[in-house]
Parts: sequence; C-alpha cells; structure tokens
Amino acid sequence: MSDAAPLLEVRGLVKRFGGVTAVDGASLALAAGRIYGLIGPNGSGKTTLFNCITGIERRDAGEVRLAGRRIDGLAAHRIARLGVGRTFQVIRVFPDLTATENLLAVSWGDEASARRRGRELLGLVGLGRLADEPAGSLSYGQQKLLELARVLMMEPRLILLDEPAAGVNRTLLNDLLDAVRGLRAAGRTVLLVEHDMKVVMAVCEHVFVLDHGETIAEGPPAAIQRNERVIEAYFGR
Amino acid sequence: MSPSATSVTPAMLAQVVVSGLLAGALYAVVALGLALIFGVMRVINIAHGTLLMLGAYVTFWWFHLTGLNPYLSLLASMPLLFLLGLGLQRFLVARVVGAPELSSLLLTFGISIALVNATQLAFTSDLRSVEYLTGSWLLGPLAVSKSRAIAGVVALLLTGLAYGGLRTTRLGKAIRATSERREVAMVCGVDVAKIDLVTFGVASALAAAGGTLVAVMVAIQPEMGQGYTVKSFLVIVLGGAGNYPGALLGGLLLGLVEQLAALFLTAQVSEAVAYVLLVVVLLVRPQGLLGGRST
Amino acid sequence: MRRAALALLALVLLGLALYPRVASGYGIRFMLQCFMWIALAQSWNLVSGLTGYVSFGHVAFFGTGAYTAGVLIARHGWPWALACLAGGVGAAGLALLIGYPCLRLRGPYFAIAMLGLNEVMRVCVSYFEGVTGGGLGLSLPTLQASLAIYYAMGLTGALVTLAAHLVVTSRFGLRLMTIREDETAAEALGIPTARYKLAAFLLSAAGPGVVGGLFARDQGYIEPISVFPLATTITMIVMALFGGKGTVWGPVVGAVALFGLEELVWARFLFLHQLLFGAIIVGVVLFVPQGLVGLLRDRFRLPRYV
Repeated sequence: MSDAAPLLEVRGLVKRFGGVTAVDGASLALAAGRIYGLIGPNGSGKTTLFNCITGIERRDAGEVRLAGRRIDGLAAHRIARLGVGRTFQVIRVFPDLTATENLLAVSWGDEASARRRGRELLGLVGLGRLADEPAGSLSYGQQKLLELARVLMMEPRLILLDEPAAGVNRTLLNDLLDAVRGLRAAGRTVLLVEHDMKVVMAVCEHVFVLDHGETIAEGPPAAIQRNERVIEAYFGR
Repeated sequence: MSPSATSVTPAMLAQVVVSGLLAGALYAVVALGLALIFGVMRVINIAHGTLLMLGAYVTFWWFHLTGLNPYLSLLASMPLLFLLGLGLQRFLVARVVGAPELSSLLLTFGISIALVNATQLAFTSDLRSVEYLTGSWLLGPLAVSKSRAIAGVVALLLTGLAYGGLRTTRLGKAIRATSERREVAMVCGVDVAKIDLVTFGVASALAAAGGTLVAVMVAIQPEMGQGYTVKSFLVIVLGGAGNYPGALLGGLLLGLVEQLAALFLTAQVSEAVAYVLLVVVLLVRPQGLLGGRST
Repeated sequence: MRRAALALLALVLLGLALYPRVASGYGIRFMLQCFMWIALAQSWNLVSGLTGYVSFGHVAFFGTGAYTAGVLIARHGWPWALACLAGGVGAAGLALLIGYPCLRLRGPYFAIAMLGLNEVMRVCVSYFEGVTGGGLGLSLPTLQASLAIYYAMGLTGALVTLAAHLVVTSRFGLRLMTIREDETAAEALGIPTARYKLAAFLLSAAGPGVVGGLFARDQGYIEPISVFPLATTITMIVMALFGGKGTVWGPVVGAVALFGLEELVWARFLFLHQLLFGAIIVGVVLFVPQGLVGLLRDRFRLPRYV
C-alpha cells in the first residue's frame, strides 16, 4: 500500500433494510491511481456498499471519506460532482436521448468544449458513428460502452464499475479492460465489482472481499485466491 | 356548527369517534381495492372513484326501478363492476402494466374522464338520491345515523372477507405473492396475467360496494368519484403502499381525523383537511405510518 | 430546410398579427382562445412533457393568476397588463410554495398530491371570502379590450413556445429529460434533480398565471368554479398529449387541432366532447404515446427543436 493519504476511505459502514443487515461494518481504503476489485459471494452487500458510497442509499452508520473529506450523508448529485462516478449493474443509459445527448446531459461548463469532449469520448469507445442514435436503439454492448463514456464525461477522480463484464462477449470485454487500464494510466482510480474472477485477476491490483456485509480479506489477487476465509465464504466449509 | 375547544363534552367526542370509525371503514373498503391494484400491478388507478360512482348509480337505478332494499343492490353493483373491471383490465390496463408510471397515470385518467362523461350523457348531471333510510339510532347518549352505521358495518364485513380471502384462499395467496415478488411468482407458476385480471375485477367490485353504501347517504352525480379517489390514495399513503391491513387502519384514521376536523372547523375546511393531510404525510413519512413498500 | 421553416413561421406570425383587420369579432375571440390554449398546453408540456412529472392540478395556476389579476384590477385599480403579469408572478409563487415540498415526492406520489391540490384551491378561494368575493365571484370594471387581449394572449402563447424551444435545445432541457428517463441515474451522475424539477415547475406556472389574468380581464367576471375547473386541466393535458408531449410544436398542434374541433364541431355537445377527450387520452397513451409531432419526429428523424 502506498503511504500517500487514501483517495477513498470507508470505515465501519452499516446499512440495514428492515430486518436484514446488508452491510455490516465494511471498511476499505483506496489509494489514488490504482485499480481495485471488490468481490464476494451473492448477497454479500457489494452493490449496497456502492450505493452507500455514491449516496444513492443513506447509510445507517459509519463514515465515507473522499480525499479526507466526509461525503456520507451528502446528496448523490453532490458526491458525483465531487468526483465519484459510477456505472450500473443493469444498464441505465437515457434511452430517448441520443448518445451525444447522454454525454452532454452530464457535462458542465462551456458547452462547445463539452461537445468536443463528447465527440472524443464517443470516438474513444468506438461509438462515433452512432453519436446521433437514440441510446435505446443501441445494442447491449454499445450501451455498456456508452455508459462508460458517460461516466468519463464527468471527469471523475474515482470510478465505480458495477459488474462491467456482465453479459459482455470476449472482444468487447477486452476493449473494456483496455479502457479500464487506460483510466489508470490517466491517473484515475477504479473500484470494480465483479463476479468473473478472470477479469478480477487480469486487471485488479488489489482486491477486497466482502461476505455478509463485512470485509473479510484484502490483498493482491493471487493471495486472495489462496486465502482460506475467502474460499470458505464462496464454497462453504 | 363548530364549538370552541372548551365546550367539547366527552359525549361529543365519543360521537365523533364512532362516526369517524364508521366513515373510516367505508374509506377502507374502497381504498383496499386501490391498494390491491397498486400492489399487484403497480398501476395507479385514478379511475377508482369513478368505479365507485358507477356502483352508486347501479344502486340508484335498482332502487328507482324495483323499489327493493337498496342494500340488496350489492348483489348487482358488485358483480357488474367486477365485470367492467375485468374488461378495463383486459383491454386497456393490461397494456400499461410494466410501462413507466406516467403511462398508467394518464391511461386511468383518460378512462376516468371517459366514464364520467359517458355517465353524464346517459344520466345527465342532475343530482340523484336514494331516499331509503333516514334518522339515527340512539345508543345511550350517542346518536348514530342509520345509513352511516349500516355502511360502516357492511364495509367492515367486506373488508374482513377480503382479508380472509387474501390470507386463506389459493387465489388470495397468489395475489399476495404477485404483489410482493412478481417475477418470483411467475417463475413459481402463477399466471400473473390472470391475477392482474381478477385483482382489477375484485378491486372494482369493492369500489362498487363503497358506491352502493354511499348512495344511500349522499347525493349521486357523475363527478362524485374524484374525492373518493384522492381519499383512497390518502388511506394507502397513511397505511403504507402495498400494506393491505394498513388500508384498514389508514381508513379508520382518516375517518377519525375528518370527523374531528368537522367538529372544530367549518365544514368546508374540514373537506380540505384530507388533502392537506395527504401532502403532509407524503412529505414526512412517505412509507406510511405502518411502513410499507415504496414505489 | 431550416430557413424555409423559419420563413414560414414568420409569415404565419405576420398573418396572425394582421388578422384582426379582416376578422369579425367572433374570429378574434376564436383566435384569442386558441392562443390561450396554446399557452396552457405548452406550459403543461414544459414540466410534464419534459420531466415526466404529471401535473394534474395545473389549472390551479390559471385560477391563481385569474384571481390575482382580478383582485388587483377590481380592488386596487391596476392597469390590466401589469395585473396579468402579476398574475404570472403569483402563479409562480404558488408553484414555489407547492413545488418545494411536493417535487421531493417521486412521480406517482407527486401526481396524487397534485390531484388534491385542485380541491384545496377551491376551498381556499371560498374561505377567503372577504378578499375575493368568495363563492359569489368577482366583478371587474367593464372594459372593451378584445383586440388588446388578442395580442396579449398571442404574445404569451408565442413566448411560452419560444421558452419551450430554448429549453429543449439547451443542456437545461436535456437534464430535465434525464429526470424523465431515469431520475436515480441522473442523480448519480451529478444532476441536482430537485432543483431542476422546481425550475421547470415554476416556469410552467407563469404562462397559465398570465393567461388566467387575461381570461379574467376578458370575461369581466370570475368565480371559483369558472377558473378552477378540472376540465381545464384535462383539456391542457389532452392537447399536449395529442400533439406530442416533450416536443416543441406538439402542444401547439394539439391546441389548434383540438380547440378547432371543439369550437367547430363539438361546441354544442359538452359531455360528448369531454368523453372524446377521455377516449383520445386513452388512445394516445396506448397507441401513439409520442403524439402527432412525436410520430413525425420519429418517422422522419427530425431534430429536437421540432
């Protein structure tokens, strides 16, 4: 772990839904400029943790700090403007808006330069030709790429990717992974939730493991694969 | 007549409580229908009050044409509206189940307007009434309007029957399952399209029952339904959306609040109380007083 | 292509401006009402068409504008043009008062709250009898001003449509539309949806407020039932839906078409035409949810400002 102050710090986060405790004291710390993974068996609370970090859900206890500043309790749109972007498990592009409009809608500042950036980003993810198509008419893979371009449009410091590899074919997957590595090269920090272990091994430098809402292990991917507690969590005793 | 706070006697208060509970039971049975439609199909049925109005007209014509006890018209209004509900669901509402809420809101709004105006064309907007039961029963110091008492008791019975059905019959369980987890219910072999159909029919029948009971008490005219639609929403919001027993409690609570307001405020203002209460509850505790599911 | 359309528009506007010279009194009144419906339908579109938040109580702003202007003219002697503008401001003020809490509710709950709003307004007007004249209505000093009102209504309709054009072609408009598309995602991507909804709501209240005032001036007498009828909200909605909610020219087309039909065909059959409105709403929602103009846009891939 680097010794610079962490970009994102989550301490003892708790989130309950009625009688169920989805997240039960999870903690993690992310240093800037690296690619992190968040794994865990189904129902371990990964997406809920994402939702709490991004402010979509209100946490019941615990802290979330972005570059030292507390962001828990802030409205989702403020957290986003502070530099936290995310994609969703189920694709949520704006279907009636064109690809370009999807990007413009989340851009701020001078409109002309926003349009230029939008064109660049669409070109980067290979959607240049489809700039004026309604997002709803794009294929699943194209929508995934659009979601990525859209989150990049916000110029976030931290990007949370919720199951980026879900339902994606081999070729597109490689493109996505290249894009993720490119993000790291550009100095951004990535935290991705994934079920596909190959993806996690291929691209993550450091992995957190969640089980029953708690962080039960963390470390480099290779070490995690051999960690007994992790194996137990996934396969039972 | 609104007495000042100091001159309210325990007897008056008891009177208000009894009237409130009876009125509330009526609200509850109507709101239960709305809750079922929302719970099962996630559709906001703005035409619900209009269905009640149609039930009231059935009762009016029953009484006008046969002279028989208007309460017996439940045997006509409920089945007739059940069938209408089936038809509406099958041909119109089914198409917007699963669509964005905007669609079902506008659709049921359109249905409501069409039905109200069709009624106006057919029966004119002249006020009608069913003069059958007047006066009150005296229970000690309390005077309870007869029609209100019967309405309340019948409403409670119907609500009880409905709850019983939901808990014990196979259909009822299927309805509850579909409300809670539609996809899971489908996977478990529940024919959700049929459940949607039956639910809308039952809900319409419940609204019709409300209409029949109300017909004996108030003036009947084509636009009478809207107030009941909004109040039914208030009941659901009070009890928690998707929380069927909550509809009963929400209804009783609304009845009580309205009667209390009528005691201390002018008649006009107490009418508005329901609407203001609606907005306040939505803002303060949208999941309802008993807690339910959010949309 | 765009030049031709603009030229056509300019021609139409010129024609409308010169129309009173050749028209009968009836013709002027017909167009005057047409302009009013354009302003109303377009205003409804500004909030409900773009954000997807259905406002069932929009007539409340019309009525508020009518009473604000009416009271200012009748009791305080204000010149009517100024009073109508004040009506717009009053309506916007009401929108702020209601919108601030109510827009925090999600779509369906908001719609329900708006349904109740109407009733509350009617009760309030009757309650404040001293100021407004209560259930008995409010009389304005007589004034023959059909011509001036014609231009005022026309101007308002044009301005509201212009506002729609500017909104739809701006990022502000795009952000409003994201609320309709996926509000949670919009929030997660940095759009302060509550603020935007409120802005749209305020904007959508000003038009009805002004035309409400103009209506009051034109009629010379208003009472609660004449300025808060549910029928007005229904008509606004049908026009916007039929023409195409979410588009710029849809509400204009819808207003002209349906008002024209109403006046020329159905005027004698009040309930029949309301029944037809209900049927049209049902038909549009089920079969042509994007409305006439929306259909054209989809078919011919027309740009957003249509």
